[in-house]
Order: sequence, then structure tokens, then C-alpha cells
Amino acid sequence: MGIGSKVRRLALLAGMAACAFGISAAQAAEKHKIFLSMSYIGNDWQAEAANMVKAMAAHKSLADKVDLQVQVAGPNAQRQIQQINAMVQSGAEAIVVYPISPTALNQVVKNACDKGVKVFAYDAEITEPCAYNVHIDQLEAGRVTAEWLVKKLNGKGNIIAITGVPGTSVDDQRTKAAKEVFAKYPDIKIVGEAVGMWSQAVARTELSKILATRNWGDINGLWMQVGCFTANSMQLEAGKKTSELLPCAGEGSNGGRIQMLPAGTEVEGAAPPYAPAGAQRISYASPPYSGALALKLAVEAIEGKDVPKTTILPLPIVTNETIKLCDEGTWAEMKAGCNVFKPSLVSNPGWFASIFSDQTPEIGLNAALVGQPEN
Amino acid sequence: MSSVSPPASAGFGLRRALMRNRGALIAAAVLAILLFIVDGISAGPLTYFDVSFLSSGGATSALAAIGQTIVILSGGFDLSAGAMISLVNAVLASSMDPMAPGASILLWTAIGIGVGMAVGAFNGFFIAVLRMQPIVVTLSTMFILQGVTLLVMDKPGGFVSPDLGTFYLGDAITGWLPMPLVVIGVVLLAWFWLKGTRFGTALYAVGSDPDSAAAVGINVVLVRFAVYVIAGGCYGLAGVFISAQTGSGDPLVGNPLLLSMFAAVVVGGTRLGGGQGGPVGSVFGAFILMMVVNILLVLNVSAYYATIAEGTILVLAALAGSLSHASVLAVQLRAARARLAAWRAGILPSQLEPIDRRLKITGPTQGQRGPASPRPAFRLRNAETLRYALPAYVCLLIIVVVTQIWLGRAILNPGYWNSLLVLSSFLAVLALGQGTVILTGGLDLSVPWTIGISGIILAGMVNGSDPALLYALPVVLVMACAIGFANGFGIAYLGISPIVMTLATNGILQGFALIYSQGTPAGFSSPMLRWFMTAKLGFVTPIVLLMLVFVVGAVLLLGRTPFGRRVYGIGNGMRAARLSGIGVERTLILVYMLSAVCAAVVGIMLTGFSGQASLGMGDDYLLPSIAVVVVGGALITGGRGHYLGMLGGVLLLTALQMLLAGTTLPYATRAILYGLVVLGAVMALRERRLQ
Repeated sequence: MGIGSKVRRLALLAGMAACAFGISAAQAAEKHKIFLSMSYIGNDWQAEAANMVKAMAAHKSLADKVDLQVQVAGPNAQRQIQQINAMVQSGAEAIVVYPISPTALNQVVKNACDKGVKVFAYDAEITEPCAYNVHIDQLEAGRVTAEWLVKKLNGKGNIIAITGVPGTSVDDQRTKAAKEVFAKYPDIKIVGEAVGMWSQAVARTELSKILATRNWGDINGLWMQVGCFTANSMQLEAGKKTSELLPCAGEGSNGGRIQMLPAGTEVEGAAPPYAPAGAQRISYASPPYSGALALKLAVEAIEGKDVPKTTILPLPIVTNETIKLCDEGTWAEMKAGCNVFKPSLVSNPGWFASIFSDQTPEIGLNAALVGQPEN
Repeated sequence: MSSVSPPASAGFGLRRALMRNRGALIAAAVLAILLFIVDGISAGPLTYFDVSFLSSGGATSALAAIGQTIVILSGGFDLSAGAMISLVNAVLASSMDPMAPGASILLWTAIGIGVGMAVGAFNGFFIAVLRMQPIVVTLSTMFILQGVTLLVMDKPGGFVSPDLGTFYLGDAITGWLPMPLVVIGVVLLAWFWLKGTRFGTALYAVGSDPDSAAAVGINVVLVRFAVYVIAGGCYGLAGVFISAQTGSGDPLVGNPLLLSMFAAVVVGGTRLGGGQGGPVGSVFGAFILMMVVNILLVLNVSAYYATIAEGTILVLAALAGSLSHASVLAVQLRAARARLAAWRAGILPSQLEPIDRRLKITGPTQGQRGPASPRPAFRLRNAETLRYALPAYVCLLIIVVVTQIWLGRAILNPGYWNSLLVLSSFLAVLALGQGTVILTGGLDLSVPWTIGISGIILAGMVNGSDPALLYALPVVLVMACAIGFANGFGIAYLGISPIVMTLATNGILQGFALIYSQGTPAGFSSPMLRWFMTAKLGFVTPIVLLMLVFVVGAVLLLGRTPFGRRVYGIGNGMRAARLSGIGVERTLILVYMLSAVCAAVVGIMLTGFSGQASLGMGDDYLLPSIAVVVVGGALITGGRGHYLGMLGGVLLLTALQMLLAGTTLPYATRAILYGLVVLGAVMALRERRLQ
């Protein structure tokens, strides 16, 4: 092959070019070079998370400390391995990563750690011990939502389960934990189960398939990782009244939360099915602010502060008792307890509403929507 | 690199060797340029460490691409490659014992290659021995393997001994030669040995023309079977390598490698369809694709533009590889020059005096059929169509009966039939577009993001208002026409292979969709569009009524119009079609425009169905759109198939999914069953052919 020797010769030729680039690099020397390696950007959650990371980097407390560069690996773990290594090569001080696989990155992450790079994984986990992880407890998410549903049904009834992406740890943990809860109640029967791929569109297709051979009347409750908004819309289309909507344990989409508001509530911009319907819900989410928090922690770690290897985020749970409409969606307002946004501000019902964290006063609704930090 | 060696230059050995390996040489040159660029723009000079890491980064794709190249050289196609890599990774990671002190590299490598070869033998049996179409066999295998992999390992985890990593990622000669390059080199050496044997000659012969190969006494069945086994071994080795690289298992790790594998093969100068090229070019191709990622990283190109850049590079590479006197582009340019000259001289057919030059046909014309030749019975006239279209309907009937027995409430339940038709409507529309493309011998891989971008733009423009549909629908459909025109132009006039052209278009559209939506598509469907897809008129959803009209229109379009006859003509033989006066280029462009418009319609329908558009909404429709066409009795190489057969395929696969969704079987079992039924349905086609 001889690539090795060829490269050596090329390297000599290009030495001068490299010197020229060295100068421009020196200007940014005071800033910490931090990379963001994202997975696929093909869904709302990822886009929101990316916006919030960018907003965090642009906030006045970090803007003159951080030089953030964003890369997307797609769904391909191989490419993420390659990207992380290229990031290490180009002098990263920290890498914030949405890991495509919890295990496939271990070697490259270890290699990065050995070179003194801090690696922060958000939302999902990297099992390599030197990596920092920022995520919720997925087992808890599965357990709490299942327990809520069992309680709503008084321990008896037929339910449908719509799971996530098969073969991922997050889906495995949530589904296993939920099924353990259901198994304790022999009168709770899972009568239909489908793979929802964490997508409202897929949830609708799969529910349509299940309902081809079943009636809504045979079903008492729904446990979905994503898709309660869609399930409620389908029930309304099928002629159910808002008061007859089945209890649904599921995701934290803004559309789903607007439906939780009591039917008839005046909300700016609402139009059915993206409108208050008094739906019985428990709404949880893997919060999209985890990437932004990971970035903040990464800067702290670079500056020598002691950051724990694992940060378990509190599980953001909203039920009909705690649902509260935001006016503008500032951090201060969310701090006071609001957790759902007007359709006139958030036109996409699939948009994730769990964006509040005590630990991130730098970012609010505008951060998640357009990447603009709070003042 | 034309299939006929140039007679004049044959005497010059060197030049001939250069010509023969041009694809690989161009790829090597491009790779060298890319290395130079990376070196130039990165912060420091490239060190041995960089080279070592680059080589291990591209090794998995390179090894898998070698296997895929061998399959493609034999005229085949292997969609199960990615799933095979995942399976090997899962098998290794779940069976190694973390407590054991060391692991035998030889043993585990052999196990990985063995698993790959066993699956390859499964493919080979159905393709070579039963002579079934590779694309649908390997598609079924892919589903089955994904299920089996999840049974072996249902979530990421497991353990792969670090010894494997130390060996495969280490140095062969410290400071000079990284091990991954040695592994690739060894495989390539084995290939060169194989190529020199009788088997190697037979491989190229089968790929160039299986009939001629059989006529000169080559055992085509054996060659084809061996090809899939060898390729399986290569994927197995790729699986071992990725296991060594990641040190653990992930049941999804190999799946995304599939499309980039084809890109690597094509960039490396191998022609899809067989007979030309070789694995060396594919290795360069795999590394080129990897370097592009690194360059985009160093240049800090916005992620939204990455797929656009990759798509453009793919097209440019394909063009560069096909630049020669005999290439389609050169032929088209010469033809254009000839037409210009003729126009100047005033001898273009359109410039001549119109004289009726048609043959005078005496005797009874077509319409007046003499009593001596009665119209044959329907059954006889349509014997071939029935033979290929019926198996899908027979299987559909079986599935419906099984649904009735297993779940109840199917046959007599109007809701069941309505759901079946609504859920089928998406694939039924796609089947017309994809089916017509396949009838001409092509393939449209740009379907997913044509669907995606159409839905996103529609939802964004409509934003819940019915009157806005009036201008939004035309805009989306015109855009689809433009997409189809670009595909058709690249394929017909630039001579780019359909797979490469549409794969590149898909990437470019993905980029545009991301830029347009900034990552989160805004807007939602209008009430009327929702009504069409979800309301009920009695027991029937409005879209079902429209579907009936669509099906009639589609059957007439393909069966009763000059356009339809031209499509079949091109599929049966491009050259014969051209000589009999069909405007091949114009027809091809129209075919790809039809496909893009169908995809856009599906995007619109999905937006109405879900109420909003999402970025990946078309991803789940690519492989099914191909599967239904083939299950419905069409030949993937073109020329044979009927729309009603494809419709049968659509209904069959949808009914099957509905049956599986109604059960509480685990996903892994469902995937295996799905693959087996598709395989069985196509086997039914096969068995009838034997009679």
C-alpha cells in the first residue's frame, strides 16, 4: 500500500501551510476548544438539544471562555468513533457527545481521556469509566410511568405498549422496568405491543395496525415512550369525547402537555388536536437540556473544579395536577412552576417541553427554539 | 474501462493495464489528494499516529466493501451485509468470557468469519441454487438477521477481549505499518490469488453475461454460491474488526454501514451490474468516504451541509470514473454535435419536408379481427401476468385467514379492511413510482428524502390553512418534478448508475430539508388534508376511494399508453428499445419524474395522516417500496411486472405487519417472521416458474 511513506512526504510539503494555520489558532488560545458530537439530527429532540448547547455556549458567562464546534455523526457509530478521534487530534479540551452506542465508543473515549480530554456524554450513557455521564435514570422513568398507569386503572385492565428503538439501552431499560411493574398486577394485560421508534408518525402507523383488529373500547390504558399526543388525537378522530380519553403514560411533547390542560381552557394559537382536552396523562422526558448542562460541567471540569463522573438528572414528571401554562417561557417563569408552552410560540406539537433545570439558569424557551440564551 | 478492450491500444501492455485499472487508479489519486488536503488544513503535520488511526477508522468499511464488490462483480447485490456485521459483533461480544485470561485471536477471528460464511451460504443457496433474485433474498436475510441479532443480544453490552483490539489496532511494524492495513492487504492478496484462478475468470464471466458463461461450460450455480460465501467471510472479518475496535457488542452497530458500503464500491470504480472493477478500488473508495468526513470536520462545515457535500462527491466520483470515449456522456455530446451539424445543413428530420414514410400495411388492421383468429381466453392472454401476480394475492389470503383465526375480527370487520387499505395507500403510490423505475431496470434510492422534504415544505407552507393547499400542492409537486428531472438527467445523459445518482440525490435532499427546517420542521397539516387521511365516510376513509381511482389510473398508464409500452421496452433491452425508435433518454427522465412525484404525494399523504411532517418520515419506506415491487412479481433487472401484482405485494406486506402488530410477539421474532414470509412469497414465484 505504501500510504505511510507517501504521507510522510506529503507531510513535509504541507508543513508551511500548517504554520500559517498555527497563527490563527493562537488568537483563540484563551478560549477552551470544546467539540459537540451529535448523533442523527433528524428529530426534534436532537435539534432542541443542539440549540440549547449552542445557547449555553453563547451565554455571557461562557461566551468568552468557550470555542464550540458542532459535528454530526448520523446514526453511524463508526463515524462517531472517527469524529471523536479527529476532535482529539485537532486539540479538543473537552468533547460533549451524544453517544450513538453506549459501548462502541469505549476505546476511542479511553484514548481521548488518556490524552487529557474530558469526555461528557449526555442523555445516553458511555460505559467507559473515564467518561462523565449526564442523564436521567431510565429505569426510574419506566417504573414511575408504569406505576402511575396501574394506579389510574386500579390495577386492572388491558393496555397497549408502544416502545422505542429496539436494541438500544434506553429502550431496554424503560421497557423492562415498566414490564416488571405490570407483571406484579396479574389483572393488567398487555394486549398489544409495537415498536414506536420514538416517533409520533410511527406511533400512529403502529396504533392504526393494532386497532385494525381491536376497538378502542377493548383498551383501558396506554403506555408509550412517545405517542400520547397521537393516541389522543386518534381517539378524538374516532369520535370519543375529551372526557373519554384513555389514561396515557408517555413523553413530554408540548402537544401532549397542551392536551393535559382542562378542556375549554383558552390558549393562544390552539387548534384541535393541538388544544386543551383534559387528557389524563403522566408526561416524562429525557430532558433536552442535558447537553447544555454537560457543556457547563465540561467547562467547570477544564477549570479544575471537581465534577462527579455521573450526574443523574431529576426525572421531569408532569401530571394533570402539576400542569401549568407558561406565558413567555423564561427560565424565571419556569422556575416558578410552569411547564407547557402556548402553540402560538411552539407551533410544532412534537416539540419537547421538558426544558427546565434548576442548574441551567442560562437557558429558557428561546434557547430551545432558536439557540438564544437568557440575559 | 469499457467491457470491450480497445483493439488499437491492445499492444501496449502498460497502457492496457492502466486502462483496465482506471477506476482504482482514479480512486487512489483522489485519496492521495484528500490526504494532502487533510494534511494541509489540519493543525499539525500528519504523523504516523494519524495514519494509524485513519487506517483503523476505515478498515471495517473497507473489509465489508471488498465482500460487497465481489458480490457485485458476479452481478449480484447484498443488502444483508450490515446486518451480518452486527450479528458477528453480537455473537463475539456475548460469547467471550470476561474472566478468561486471554483470548485466542485466531479462534475468535475464525468464529466471526465462520458465522459470516454460514449466513453467506444461506444467501447463496436461495440465490444460486433456487435462482431467486439477490435483492429480495438478501433483504429478507437482513430482516431475519436483525431479529436473530436481537435474540443473541437485546441491548448494547457484552465483552470483547482487549487482546483482539491490541492485535487488530496495533502495529505490524512499530512506527511504520499499522495492522489494519496489513489485514486489508492480506485480504487483497487472497483476492489476487483467487482472481488468477479459474474461479476468478468464471466470476467475471458470470457477472458480465451469465448465459454466455453457462454456454462455455462454467458452473454458474457454483460460482454464485461461492461468491456469497466468500463475501460472507469478508463481512465476518469486518464484524471481528469492529468488535476489536469497540471492545464490546451493539446489536445495531453494522446496520448504518450498508449504504456507505455501496458508495465505497462505486467510488472505487466498480460498475453495479457486474463484470467490471475490483476490490482494490473499493478499499480506496471506503477510505475516500472516510477522509471526506474528516475534511468536513477540520473545515468545520455545518452539519446540515455534510450530506450535500457527500452526495456531490459521490456524483463527481462516478463521473470521473466513467470519463472515456465510450461513456454515455461522451456519446451524448457527440450526438448533440451531430444534431447541431445536421441542423446547420438543414437535414434534421424535423427540417425535412413531411412525407408519409410509414409502411403501407395491407390486410385487416388490428381492430378488425377475422373470425378465423378468435380472441384467446383472458386466462391465456394474461397467463404470464397472472403467474407472477397471483402468488402475492394467495399469500395475502393466507395472512388474512391467519389473522382471523389468531386475532379474530378480520374478514367480517369493515374496520380491518379500511385500515388495511389506508395503511397500504402509501406503499401503493410508491409502488407505481418505484415499480416503473424498476421496470426500466433502475432503482430509485432518493425516495426517503423526497418524501421527507415534500412533507416538510408542504406542512411549512400550509400551516393549518386549507386555502394554502391551493398553492402549496402545486409548489411541492413541481419541486418533485425537478428532483425527478435531475435524477433522470444524471442517469440518461451523464450515464451515472441509477443507484449512485439517486443515492447522491437522497443525501443532497436530506441536506436541503435540514437547512430549510433548521432541524425542527414547523407547521402542520390543514384540516382538509387530515380529513382525507383520517376521517370516516361510513366505514370508508376518503383516501381509500381516491386509491381506487389511482389504481385504475396506474394500470392504464403502464398497460394501455405508449409511455407504458416504452417503459417495458427499455426494461427488456435498452439497445433494442433505442433502435426501435423509442426516445430512451426522454422516457427515462419521465420515469424518474413519475417516481419523484409519487414520493412527493406520499410525503403529502403522510403529513395529512400524522398531522405534521418530521425529518426522517420517509426512512421507513425505501426498502419496503422495493420489496413490494419484487414480491408482486416484478423482475429487479427490469422488463417484467404488472402494477396489480405490485399492489398485491403492498397488501400482503401491510396485512402481515398488521397481523404481527396485533400479536404480543417480541420484536425480534416479528422481524424473523417478516423476513421468512417475504422469502416464502418470492419462493412461491420461483416454484411456479419451474413448472
